[in-house]
Amino acid sequence: MNIIRRAVFSNPLTSTLLICTRSYAFKSNLKIKWVRPTKIPCYDPAKSGDLVPMPEFDKTQFQLEFQKCKELASANDLVKRLFSLEYAPRHRTTQLYLRQLIDGTKRHNQDEGSIEAKIARWTGAIRAMQDLVKRFPHDVRLRVRIKELSDKRKKQLKYLRRWDYKKFEWLIDTLNIVYKPHPIDFRTVTRKESLRKLTNQHCDDIKNDRLKTYRLQLEAEQPDFLQEKIKALEFIRKEQEECNVCVTVTQTEIDDVRQQLRNLLQKRRDLNTKEE
Amino acid sequence: MALAAASKSLLLLGECVPCLKHNASKFKVRRFELDTNLLMYFRTWEFVYALDPEKKCKTGDVVLIEKCPEQLTRLITHKVKEIVYPHGDVIDPLTGKKVVGGKFRDHVEAVNRIYGKTATAFDYDSAPDRGWLEDIKDFSHVDTYVKYHENGEDQPYAV
Repeated sequence: MNIIRRAVFSNPLTSTLLICTRSYAFKSNLKIKWVRPTKIPCYDPAKSGDLVPMPEFDKTQFQLEFQKCKELASANDLVKRLFSLEYAPRHRTTQLYLRQLIDGTKRHNQDEGSIEAKIARWTGAIRAMQDLVKRFPHDVRLRVRIKELSDKRKKQLKYLRRWDYKKFEWLIDTLNIVYKPHPIDFRTVTRKESLRKLTNQHCDDIKNDRLKTYRLQLEAEQPDFLQEKIKALEFIRKEQEECNVCVTVTQTEIDDVRQQLRNLLQKRRDLNTKEE
Repeated sequence: MALAAASKSLLLLGECVPCLKHNASKFKVRRFELDTNLLMYFRTWEFVYALDPEKKCKTGDVVLIEKCPEQLTRLITHKVKEIVYPHGDVIDPLTGKKVVGGKFRDHVEAVNRIYGKTATAFDYDSAPDRGWLEDIKDFSHVDTYVKYHENGEDQPYAV
């Protein structure tokens, strides 16, 4: 056994091959810098897909249940202020916001339970809670409620998309939601796997760059090549005619190549003028 | 073995899945494969690429695809014949009416009219065709991935 080992390691070529092909503790020479993406918390609007937050409301307007009250129209300013949002608890403002969103999407005047009305209500609730979580970041129950509700909304949007695509598009546009489906395979981000992906991307980039430069090189050679081709074809035709042999190169063939050259030059001139 | 079976048949019914190719679409074809030990059929899925230069097929559509007389490329073996069911636009095969969930669209509209349809409600006639929000707010036509690298650029398909 020792004899074999000695024989293997004494040969310099085999020893270098062994070092090159080792997989354990392999270090790449490429200078790829991997930056771990920052975690987006589940209660963040970037995660739930809400593009707009809950707006600021005019505090002088009445609470929702007193908005149609006729007595308040003739009441004095102090009473009006008492029934406004200014002195009302926060959930009264949220109630008004939810009502606005539902009214913007509901099917008919009595509608509260259709899928679009439900999603509008949940959207309002999510945005109100996202606003609140900024003030109370340690309220775990609130964070859980946001996560659960936004997941529920996403699930229902998934179903709506399957049933009625046009309505789904209209709804996400009206409510300003971004819909991204879940990825097929959900894996935790690791340094090793990310570096592998980045290395593959790097290799693809190199390949594409080289292909592009080669294509440009060939395209640059095209006019010279075509001119040479015309000359060669003319020469062959002339020789064949002079030697009284069967003529294999037709005049139309030569004209076609000339036309091709003209088109190519014209195309390049157009491109240059466009760039200028 | 199963793939050979799929490529043999002339017409296939497949579901369109996200694909980055410019002139072709990818289809998921469901087949039943016999397990000779258990003598039972099990569901298997095969993926077929079909020529679709205009990219008419969208993700989720149920499409009839036809085998090309000769293979176009290493991957593309079929071509699109007909979009049978566009995704999210279900038609009842018996009556030919449009269906949403378990209800006819006409019936839902009739109920809305009786209760008084609101001006802001969704209107099917004025709604644009599917795909106008692609890459703007709707990213369901592509495969999303978990973000693994922060390169300073916007990654719209990363979750």
